[in-house]
Amino acid sequence: MNNIFKGSISKFLLATILVASNSSTFAAINVLACEPEWAALAKQLGGNHVVVNSATTALQDPHHIQARPRLISKARRADMLICSGAELEIGWLPILLKKSGNAKIQSQAIGHIMTADHVELLGKLEKVSRSMGDVHAAGNPHVHLDPRRMVLIADLVTQRLAQIDPDNSESYRNNNQSFKSDMTAMLERMKATVESLRNKRWVVHHNNWIYLNDWLGLQQIATLEPKPGVPPTTKHLAKLVSSLNENPVRAIAYGSYQPKKAANWLGKKTNTSVLALQYTVIDWEKPNAIVSWYESLITSLANALVP
Amino acid sequence: MEFSILLPAFAAGIVVLLSHVPLGREVLTRGIIFIDLAIAQFAGLGLIAANYFGFEAHGLEIQFFALLGALLGAILLSVTERFLADYQEAGIGILFVLAATASLLLIANNPHGGEQLQNLLVGQILWVEWVQLIPAMIIGLIILFMSISYSNLFKTKWFYLLFAVAITQSVQLVGVYLVFATLIIPALASLKLNKEKQIFFPIAFGIASYAIGLIMSSVFDLPSGAVIVWVMALLSLAWMCNPLKKQTKDSS
Repeated sequence: MNNIFKGSISKFLLATILVASNSSTFAAINVLACEPEWAALAKQLGGNHVVVNSATTALQDPHHIQARPRLISKARRADMLICSGAELEIGWLPILLKKSGNAKIQSQAIGHIMTADHVELLGKLEKVSRSMGDVHAAGNPHVHLDPRRMVLIADLVTQRLAQIDPDNSESYRNNNQSFKSDMTAMLERMKATVESLRNKRWVVHHNNWIYLNDWLGLQQIATLEPKPGVPPTTKHLAKLVSSLNENPVRAIAYGSYQPKKAANWLGKKTNTSVLALQYTVIDWEKPNAIVSWYESLITSLANALVP
Repeated sequence: MEFSILLPAFAAGIVVLLSHVPLGREVLTRGIIFIDLAIAQFAGLGLIAANYFGFEAHGLEIQFFALLGALLGAILLSVTERFLADYQEAGIGILFVLAATASLLLIANNPHGGEQLQNLLVGQILWVEWVQLIPAMIIGLIILFMSISYSNLFKTKWFYLLFAVAITQSVQLVGVYLVFATLIIPALASLKLNKEKQIFFPIAFGIASYAIGLIMSSVFDLPSGAVIVWVMALLSLAWMCNPLKKQTKDSS
């Protein structure tokens, strides 16, 4: 009995060691992304020269995560870290960086990219007070929803990859070129659809679509949350019902990781269609994930907003 | 596997066990299982109230206001114990919802502050840093020592104060679920043992649960706190159904 017990323990430990060592593949560059959109971008630009991991999935709220051992070991191994920044990950990224003890991804290092630091931000605030809700003083961090900003970030990531891994810099530049031409081709193909969305009125759950509004010229009439991060209140919803009945909108949208109850409730009360939108790239490991995601985003928006 | 990732978490588990095993035994004896949730809620309320009245708490101030809230909770609990006597569990439940909803009312227009403040008080075991363990270690050793040398103290109202201090600390280290499990499960598994084994057996049992739980969470890449809770529960179930144990009991 004792021997069997001992045997199973050593087998278990052996299995543990095997599983753990198996996960560290020998590839040139390890990239840790905070959100799937940046994982998709890293994969797109790095191709076979990078191993990419994402700390969150498309169905998780990037504001909060549950700590797992492998997340810390991924941070320890990472050569590059790509996150949104602008305080989006403030609840967990600082402690993850500290726990990693990895100089290559600390702020100021080449391998540390906070994308929001490198593009023009919307929704910047002169003064932030707590009464405004969950707002970010630095500006709205959800920059990936604008392809124009996405290609600027792609240039930056390409440049940093080339700095970290000069041997493959040619390949990174080529990948970036083909990414950008795919994007241009898609936008050209969808030009009529994109145009048709201009000035369409919609209501969203949380104020994380402002870059999409900026790009497509959508008119966001209201948010279901009275203030960012505050769950919809009865008073606010009642006000929305009367204003939408007077001045209808095309659709009420919520992101894939957000609750749908309030949107459905308001949709029924005001006879407005309700739209679940892919807030970010779901299958980020697939080739051309970003461009196809933009395309499906525009398509489902057009289906809902254009008569 | 990188043991250096798991090591601080494992140490946190041991430190939490030192105080929670003796406290948990008393909690079981008194039949006040949910007291830790109420105390943790009061600690959060303390911080939120301080913020509401204009204190932007940082560092040690956070600990101060949280402890203040927890101690207020402890005092109220000893009051309800006096007036409700046999219905103390109901008193705990009522104080819990009052503290929780008082926080909700205070942060009704202040989500940024509220959510982040509450997060400050609910830790995740993997984020533990070595320096955090020092105060928790001191508190743990003091409580363990008192439970052995001054066990009568645990039968008085002072129990609530000791409990408040320990819980405010441990919730920040390992989170509410693990605190609850560490308090109740090892104590429950060792109920039938004779008195001198009732401290060290559950501590050893708890240490084994934390070790196995952390290793499994690393192997299967799952959130560590949740895995440890399940390992602890399943191990105690196995222990309580263990036929070997019955034999030794019969023969003694």
